[in-house]
Formats: sequence, structure tokens, C-alpha cells
Amino acid sequence: MDVVNQLQRQFIDNSASLHREGFLDDQFTQLQKLQDENSPDFVVEVASLFFEDCEKLINNMSRALEQQQGVDFKQVDASVHQLKGSSSSIGAVRVKNICVAFRSFCEAQNREGCLRCLQQVTHEYSLLKNKLQTLFRLEKQILAAGGSIPGVE
Amino acid sequence: MAPGEANSGNGGQILKPFTFNEIVLRNRLTALVVDGDNFCRLLEQGILQAYGLETQSVDNGDAAVELIASGAKFDLILIDMLLPILDGLEATRRIRAMGVRCKMLGVTAFSGERERQAFLAAGVDVFVEKPLGPEILIPILRELDEQYPSI
Repeated sequence: MDVVNQLQRQFIDNSASLHREGFLDDQFTQLQKLQDENSPDFVVEVASLFFEDCEKLINNMSRALEQQQGVDFKQVDASVHQLKGSSSSIGAVRVKNICVAFRSFCEAQNREGCLRCLQQVTHEYSLLKNKLQTLFRLEKQILAAGGSIPGVE
Repeated sequence: MAPGEANSGNGGQILKPFTFNEIVLRNRLTALVVDGDNFCRLLEQGILQAYGLETQSVDNGDAAVELIASGAKFDLILIDMLLPILDGLEATRRIRAMGVRCKMLGVTAFSGERERQAFLAAGVDVFVEKPLGPEILIPILRELDEQYPSI
């Protein structure tokens, strides 16, 4: 019982800090509420899809910005726009905010600014991925120890 | 007035925030999701499926128009603005031109007033800046559900 309590407390703390530090907003909380016995892995699946999508888009941006003979800023912008949409859809607010700034640099055709944003986006995405994976690991451990996941609020 | 419902009219007060799992639909509504981004398309489908909607999805505007032209009927269409092959604005116009009157939500990462006006002019009923949240979706699902007669 002690083990379960400890894990649950850790889960609550991790969850709270993700929100407090602005990694995730209410949209993520809402998605968690859709998880039930009919779709017990909804959040994990959604997160995995998001990471896949992120990686693909970041690669696209990176390739487009690497073009020495002239960056196609419209192409970069298209990927940033998509990332803005998907990050806001999962509630990844820090990633989304960088996308907003990123789009301004695309519009201004500012390669340096774009590269800086790309670096920031990559960094934020990695941070978020690590933290969510930790959270999901805790969930698994709690369930394996016979406990239940603390309610989402 | 049920908890969670706003008072009528603009600037009405929300009594409590909507949450995603707040309602249970009586009818099996159908929806089409049109989004070129893999994640958004699957997420929006997932959200609608969680409410018991039967969903289909396509990843470009041309496929959406073809699907509707082939006779497929939906209670709800979620459509993004930026789409490959045929963009969301033109796809919406063509769908409406076919006489389709179902509820269409333009769900896009664009946030400007110009985009909003354009999408509404093309024929969507509601312009939604991503994310699609419960406060927009729940009232719409409720409205669609109530269109069907109770048994």
C-alpha cells in the first residue's frame, strides 16, 4: 500500500509540475478525461502520435532551413503552422508558443531567427517527451502495483 | 438551465467550464474529419469516437469533396483550412454547392480575423482555432443529437 501511495503522490506531483511550468494546459487535462475503460490507452496513444508528428515536422523544418542555395521559407512556415496546430491540440503550450514566434521569423525570412526557434522547439519537445514518458511510466507502475491512477482535475 | 450551460446571448456567463466527457449522446451521429496533419486528424477522430460518433477521415480537400459527391452523408464535418491538393476553403465551397447543409466546423491553426471571415464566407458554420475544446464541441454535439426525434 505504501508503494502505491508513494507512486501516486509522485504521479500527482509530476502532473502538477507539468501544468505549473506551462508544459501542458487544460486541453491535455480534457484529453485525459476522455480516457476510460473503453479506451484505456487513449492518452498514451495520443502522445505517441504527437511525438511522431513532431519529429517529422522538426525534420522537415531542419531540412528546409539547411538549404544553402536559398531557404524556402514558405515550406518552413507550412511545417511550423502544422506544428502549431498539433501542439495546441494536445495542450503542449510551450511548443505552441515557440511556433507563434517561429512563424514571425518565417514571414520576415530571417534564417537566423528561424534556426534559433528550431533549436528551442526541439529542446521543448524533448523536455515534454521525457516528462510525459516519466508520467506514463508511473501510471504503469501504479497499475502494476494494484493501485489506481489519481483523478484528473 | 442545466449546469455548464451559458446564459443565452453574447457575453453570457458560463456557470462552470465544460469538460470533454460531460454528455452522453442518444443517437449515433456521423462525422467526417478533414485534416492534412496526421496527428490532428487522428486526435479529432479519437475525440469524436469517444462520444460514440461514427467517424471517417480524409487527409485532403479533394478526397473530402469526392466522398461527399459519392453520396456519403454526415451529421458533422470538421475541416481544416490548409489542406493538400484542394484547400479547405475551396473544398467547403464545393461541398456547400452540392447542397450539403450539415454542420461544418472549420478547425484550423489560423487565428486571424481575415481567415475567420474567409472560412465563414466559404460556408463553415463555426470557425474554430485549434484546439477543438469541449466548450465548442459539447453544445454542438448536443444540438445535433437533439435534432433526432426521441424514441
